Amino acid sequence: MRLSPRAVFGAVIAFNLVALALPTLVILGASFTEGNMIVFPPEGFSLKWYDKVLGSEPLREAFLRSLWVSLICTAAGVPAGAFAALAMARFRLRFAGALQIYLLLPFTIPLIASGIGLMLFFGEIGILGDLWPVGIACAVINLPFMIWAVLASVNGLDPDLENAAANCGAPPLQTFLTVTLPAVMPGVITGGLLLFVLAFNEFLVSLLLTDANTVTLPVSIYNSIRSIITPDLAAVSVVYIAVAGVAIVLLDRLVGLEVFLRGK
Amino acid sequence: MSRYPVTWRFLDALEAVAAFLWPRRMHRYTGVLLLVPAVALVGLLVAGLFQMGDSSLRLLDTETFEQSEDYSLANYRDLIEKPTYFTVLWRSTWAAALVTVLTLLLGFPYAYAMVRTRSAWRRKALLVSLFLPFFIGQVVRAYGWLVVLGKTGLVNTLLGTLGLGPFKMIYTFPSLVFGLVQYMLPFAVLLLAPAITAIDEELESASESLGAGGWRTLWHVVLPLARPGLVASAVVVFTLTLTDYAMPVVLGGGTNDFIANAVYDAFFRISDNGLGSALALTLVVFGSTVVAVMLGLLGAGTLGMRGRGNAR
Repeated sequence: MRLSPRAVFGAVIAFNLVALALPTLVILGASFTEGNMIVFPPEGFSLKWYDKVLGSEPLREAFLRSLWVSLICTAAGVPAGAFAALAMARFRLRFAGALQIYLLLPFTIPLIASGIGLMLFFGEIGILGDLWPVGIACAVINLPFMIWAVLASVNGLDPDLENAAANCGAPPLQTFLTVTLPAVMPGVITGGLLLFVLAFNEFLVSLLLTDANTVTLPVSIYNSIRSIITPDLAAVSVVYIAVAGVAIVLLDRLVGLEVFLRGK
Repeated sequence: MSRYPVTWRFLDALEAVAAFLWPRRMHRYTGVLLLVPAVALVGLLVAGLFQMGDSSLRLLDTETFEQSEDYSLANYRDLIEKPTYFTVLWRSTWAAALVTVLTLLLGFPYAYAMVRTRSAWRRKALLVSLFLPFFIGQVVRAYGWLVVLGKTGLVNTLLGTLGLGPFKMIYTFPSLVFGLVQYMLPFAVLLLAPAITAIDEELESASESLGAGGWRTLWHVVLPLARPGLVASAVVVFTLTLTDYAMPVVLGGGTNDFIANAVYDAFFRISDNGLGSALALTLVVFGSTVVAVMLGLLGAGTLGMRGRGNAR
């Protein structure tokens, strides 16, 4: 019997769905266990690990630090990326080709090299060990995502609309605020959410740029994985599942997840 | 006067400030001005690269643990002469190729179904299943796999009820590859989807009504037209895997290190910044060469950053 593509595709998709969901489901399940070990099926049901996590000062601080890093990353990356996308799409620039390669650098340079380079540079100018440079570093390495997101929106905006506004007497700033900005807003929101979530999750660059006093949440989870795996780690990881869930709902409500399917 | 709304006055004031700070004769430089923040941010990266280049040319003095004043290429010579680094480079490259092939094989049907399904509900379910792990970082996902594949984990428990095992799965190369494929799947699917959207569905119908079976249509019509997406996914998955740090360190358990792990160890285990910098720069050059060759041979795919030609 020959298998049809439909049957094979169906089987592959089923496998993907299981593989994509399994770590999340297992973490959720393990976080509610009553026992002191992660076993299957989980023993009983309790919220004691959540209680333990909420009571832990270092974890709470790491969480707040991660939040701060994400906010700085978003605050720096959103305007920088959005303006760059507008400039690339709307203005005839000299050296546009070289500029494109330059702006893709954060994407093409391996994360480990970017992280080490920033570590050495921040050390040289004496800001290594502060928390805010970690946020800036996250904005640098994720900038291309912001630019791509906004470019997709800019390309959907007819430049004649802006010309029409100017023709009707709108000064430049008003044209920008009332015509351009609303049109690119979906891209700005998408890119902003991506920046926030990616910075909240950023592990390697955090690992390189933080010390014992400034560890972020992913780094502190990583440090615990290396010792013994207890259910409290599952409870911490649920924070990430919750943040991801909120980000997806926001993205879907504000922009619609379907934008990612749109052809270029 | 009282008819004039306060928001208008506010806007007028803003407009006046803008005109003062950025007068009309400067308008042809607006594009340049808009680029300043992004160029400055990426500039930090470039400064880091130079710092790394400088460091890579200085030798570590093993007595004082300080870097030498004068430059030499000794660190690069060290890299070439130590077979460990070649082994690690080879392992990363081979794993990256394997992960790329597996991810594309698994990702293509997913992207295709997500784009082509007629059911809005099903499309949403596929999107959410993709974004949830995408938005959960690598460390948390690797931790999830430790719980699934560990000695007392889900899989071994299930096999145990059948009287099999336990098998050692974590800290092996196959589990590392599996973890990486699962991590890369959302990237691949999200880069494939726009390319599949761009394919006219009627071409597929035409092919089938002309008598081509499902597989022939897939091979001769869909895959060639989806090429920009396949190229973009392949490049991204390959480079992200080649340079990954977290999966090898968590799921590989120290015996399946990639180059990024070797760079980290050079800095933080043996404290040789020069050697680590040289290794990191080698990775930059190696990775960029591979990307350039792939893009040169196959075209930029969906990774371009240019507008669609409606520039002013």
